[in-house]
Amino acid sequence: MIYDLAHTTIYDYSDVVSLSHHVIRLQPRELPRQRRLQTALEIDPAPGSARAQRDYYGNEMSFITVEVAHKRLQVTATSRIEVLPAPVPEPDRSPAWETVREQLREEEPGTALAAGEFLYDSPHITVGPAFEQYARPSFPAGRPLLAGVLDLTARIHREFKFDPKATTVATPLADVLKHRRGVCQDFAHLEIACLRSLGLAARYVSGYLETDPPPGKPRLAGADASHAWLAVYCPVHGWVDVDPTNNLLPSQRHVTVGWGRDYGDVCPIRGVILGSGAHVLKVAVDVIPSHEPRFPFAA
Amino acid sequence: MNAPTPTQSQSQSTGRPVAPAPPDEGGALPGIFTGYAPRPGGYDELTDQRGGVRPHWRSLVSSLDRLGHEELTLRWDNARRIIREHGVTYNIYGDPQGMDRPWELDMLPLAIQPAEWHAIEAGLAQRARLLNLVLADVYGPQRLLREGHLPPALVQANPGFLRPCHGLPMRGNIHLHFHAADLARAATGQWWVIADRTQAPSGAGYALENRIVLSRILPEEFRDCQVERLASFFRTIRATLRSLAPLNPDNPSVVLLTPGPYNETYFEHDYLARYLGFTLVEGGDLTVRDEKVFIKTLEGLRPVDVILRRVDDNFCDPLELRGDSFLGVAGLVQAVRAGNVTVANALGSGLIEGAAFLPFLPGLCRHLLDEDLKLPSVATWWCGQPKERAYVLEHLDELVIKPAFRSGSQQPLFGARLNAAQRAKLVAAIREQPENFVGQERVALSTAPVWGHHHAEPRPLVLRTYATAATADSFSVMPGGLTRISPSAEDPVVSMQSGGGSKDTWVLSEGPVSPVSLLSSRGQPLMSAGPSAAELPSRVADNLFWLGRYVERLEGTLRMLRCIVLRLSGEAGADGSAELTALAQTLVRRQLLPDRFLGRVPLKDLEHEILFLIYKPERLDSARQILASVRGIASIVRDRFSFDTWSILNKLNIDGRARPRRIPLAEALAMLNTIILDLSAFSGLEMENMTRGLGWRFLDLGRRLERSMQLARLLRCAFPPGVRPGLLLEPLLEICDSLMTYRRRYFSGVQLGSVLELLVCDPGNPRGFAFQIEALAAHAENLPREAATPGGTTEERRVAGLLLRLRAADVKGLGGPPDGAPDEGLATLLDDFQVELGLLSNQFSHHYFSHTVYRVS
Repeated sequence: MIYDLAHTTIYDYSDVVSLSHHVIRLQPRELPRQRRLQTALEIDPAPGSARAQRDYYGNEMSFITVEVAHKRLQVTATSRIEVLPAPVPEPDRSPAWETVREQLREEEPGTALAAGEFLYDSPHITVGPAFEQYARPSFPAGRPLLAGVLDLTARIHREFKFDPKATTVATPLADVLKHRRGVCQDFAHLEIACLRSLGLAARYVSGYLETDPPPGKPRLAGADASHAWLAVYCPVHGWVDVDPTNNLLPSQRHVTVGWGRDYGDVCPIRGVILGSGAHVLKVAVDVIPSHEPRFPFAA
Repeated sequence: MNAPTPTQSQSQSTGRPVAPAPPDEGGALPGIFTGYAPRPGGYDELTDQRGGVRPHWRSLVSSLDRLGHEELTLRWDNARRIIREHGVTYNIYGDPQGMDRPWELDMLPLAIQPAEWHAIEAGLAQRARLLNLVLADVYGPQRLLREGHLPPALVQANPGFLRPCHGLPMRGNIHLHFHAADLARAATGQWWVIADRTQAPSGAGYALENRIVLSRILPEEFRDCQVERLASFFRTIRATLRSLAPLNPDNPSVVLLTPGPYNETYFEHDYLARYLGFTLVEGGDLTVRDEKVFIKTLEGLRPVDVILRRVDDNFCDPLELRGDSFLGVAGLVQAVRAGNVTVANALGSGLIEGAAFLPFLPGLCRHLLDEDLKLPSVATWWCGQPKERAYVLEHLDELVIKPAFRSGSQQPLFGARLNAAQRAKLVAAIREQPENFVGQERVALSTAPVWGHHHAEPRPLVLRTYATAATADSFSVMPGGLTRISPSAEDPVVSMQSGGGSKDTWVLSEGPVSPVSLLSSRGQPLMSAGPSAAELPSRVADNLFWLGRYVERLEGTLRMLRCIVLRLSGEAGADGSAELTALAQTLVRRQLLPDRFLGRVPLKDLEHEILFLIYKPERLDSARQILASVRGIASIVRDRFSFDTWSILNKLNIDGRARPRRIPLAEALAMLNTIILDLSAFSGLEMENMTRGLGWRFLDLGRRLERSMQLARLLRCAFPPGVRPGLLLEPLLEICDSLMTYRRRYFSGVQLGSVLELLVCDPGNPRGFAFQIEALAAHAENLPREAATPGGTTEERRVAGLLLRLRAADVKGLGGPPDGAPDEGLATLLDDFQVELGLLSNQFSHHYFSHTVYRVS
């Protein structure tokens, strides 16, 4: 499947900004089953300096500095990405979850080095008994790791309500668990916290999801959004992606931008500006299968 | 600085012990040490097990004894006076009175003999070299993790491991430019490292200040003991940092980045910046453009090559590190990544401050340096390993449980002191996240004599030592260090935050020491400030401007209050009472006194109100409140003043404990006189000693603006239209320090017209209005400006307008007929002046100090 992606972010500032720095992670990384056919980053006004580089996790990251006075900043990332189907894992072929936990904690380097990065607390995810308690019913003794993960994913999908008004980026994870509401980012964080509380390794994945337009209606420009899910480490299958928001195993409809310990490591745009006053943020995302009729990217 | 806990260990020895001095015969304790009794079984620095004085202390001890009790007490008072004069302070967090707490220095140094020091020195240099290599690997190829020399969890679970800092280029392969270690000596005499400080170690500046004070109060002892000098260590720091400039190696600009005046060790940041000749900056003074760091000065952006930071790792860049921090510089990590700036210590070097690394150092040392670790660390078991965890859980009662990784808040827990519930909670926490805990053996600290309440008593101590990189392969150790002592003989916790004191550390030399010092007899650096010191950050200009304004406001207020106190004390002659009424009315119009003083008032009531106006800190515009502002701002810009100038600013004080109503007028008057004289000394030094750079210009600009505003306001309040000036004329001339001039110039009685001529129009009267406006015009003309400003800056045009208005006005005539009331036009003129001056002040601020806000979006 080939997609044309467009992700536009517009900041309207109430006062003139004389200098701004942004770290941008909007361009999907190359993966065994994800090929990047084309990618571009447009910034208006033109940045005084821009540098594309990779971060600690190998994600594409650009550092830009706008040095001219501006009241509006527009960042548009466009990419053409080919995604191949993911192999369907056989949950029952994965080792018992306790075995995986022991392997992750063992002192010999190897397993621990690869997955250990995603085993411990991170700035947005602090584990604790509450998460372990929630996860436990999905992980009876001896259950194969992936069977447990699929069960946990299904429970989160079932027991939590998708509610964009319930949370912000700053909402503590404990509140998400308590109120059982949130968005994709919250559910990904929650499931990661549950798995890490059990001693398992899980990482946060940032990307896009192809959505269907309403039946009988044309696709609307800019109607899509960023998406987030997680991947769990299994010694047999490697990293296996799961999407608790939609209760499915991501395959050809998910485009991966990058991953990290939590949202903070892969935040799409993070910036610091020199100036004062409020800003208004507008975001428009399009994920369009390339066989569909084209329209100009949202400007 | 963060406290090491003293409860440390001595088993698990992997290095060669540093041998203590062999006990010696003789050397009985002399008279002044009578009653000195270290606790049995512990190690005492001064005395051996039989109570005799150890050989390397004998010369010092007998010399102190010859001085005698009385002389020692005198010298100790002298030491404390010097500390106050130098303004050596230490801020205690969470204590409203904790700001600017005077530094505690004990009069008796800690003496260390040469052979023992050589072993310590070699151990510390090796340790710094080792830790530097560990950092280089973890932030680089991570071979240590891959090959099993370090458990990955030690890095991966460590909040000090900053992913954005991985792979940053390091000039000279130096990550650890500056390393500090806390040492404790166990009962066996063995020195142990109990903690490492690797991101922004504090205390070296205090060690230097301790040395300066002590060598002044004990000069003969200092010379006779052949004490190793500290200066060359600081010279190495300076040379190393200057050699690491990526872009301007010939003329590097080095800055010291401080979190600001509220930081606990701000005194030291300022002190070291001056001593090393670096510009002291806060995060807001720096900016990143084109992946390079610049300092924002009044004359534009100036490149920065090297940043010696006192800001913790995570706070250094709100863009890539902690987003909620405003102490750092946005884009700093990227500037380092691009190879355009050196940050010392390297960002992320806090990684190895955690106690969890301690048990791995012997193995790492053999692997990386092919040497045995020379200076052992306290025995530590990291719970991230199963066997070690089991040991810790089994021996909880004998151990101290600490966070494995450096974190500010968690206190160490003594297993033996926990009750059942606390214990169960701790065990559960260890089982849940074992990698976050270590167990450490406890060790009693050695003791040394402290000149407590005029006698010597033994107190536990921890020695903080410092090493700096000359190159990645060679570290220099400061021959000395900061000895910290616990607040009491019983309390085993050594910490500046919990109120312990400090000592100078005398490393004795085998031969004569060359008397080279970088300091003058006054404790001022002889090393001239580098070219970077000439730059004036906009923030500093802003502070100097407001210092000028507040100093002037203080002087004006004190002169006004003194004028009244003089009359209240009945020293001002028969007209006193009538003059007082007129003065009180002026102060009511000036909104300093309540309306009831418009009529006739009992003198006692007036006296109370005036004392409040002097002493009450919470009263708006009280002398004490203004003085607090002066001191607050002065402490921020003290690096801009000479020692003498700073001493005067530091001396300004109004007794804060007194209850205003109880203070005798005579005492208040004496105090007012003292401060007015001190302020005169300050302005004298400012005129005579300060280079006429931009710093001086902004200080003086503030002063001139404030003086002209105050004068216009005072005249407006004193001489309202239609009211005969009567008895106010003389007091007013007195407040404006122009009475003598008036008497010399005008032989007739005092007339308002003539007073106005002298105070408003005469450009030769430095207390007068015209003089201030002309000075403002000169400043406006000479401040930096954008290239094209046809017709001058807006400030220039506004001052020019003021000057025209002043010259055109018939001020003498506005005073009205002799013995009559002033003309309506006087009030209009003075009102206009006040408005114009207010606008002018805003324009200067807006133009030169435009305040900018960083915000994370």
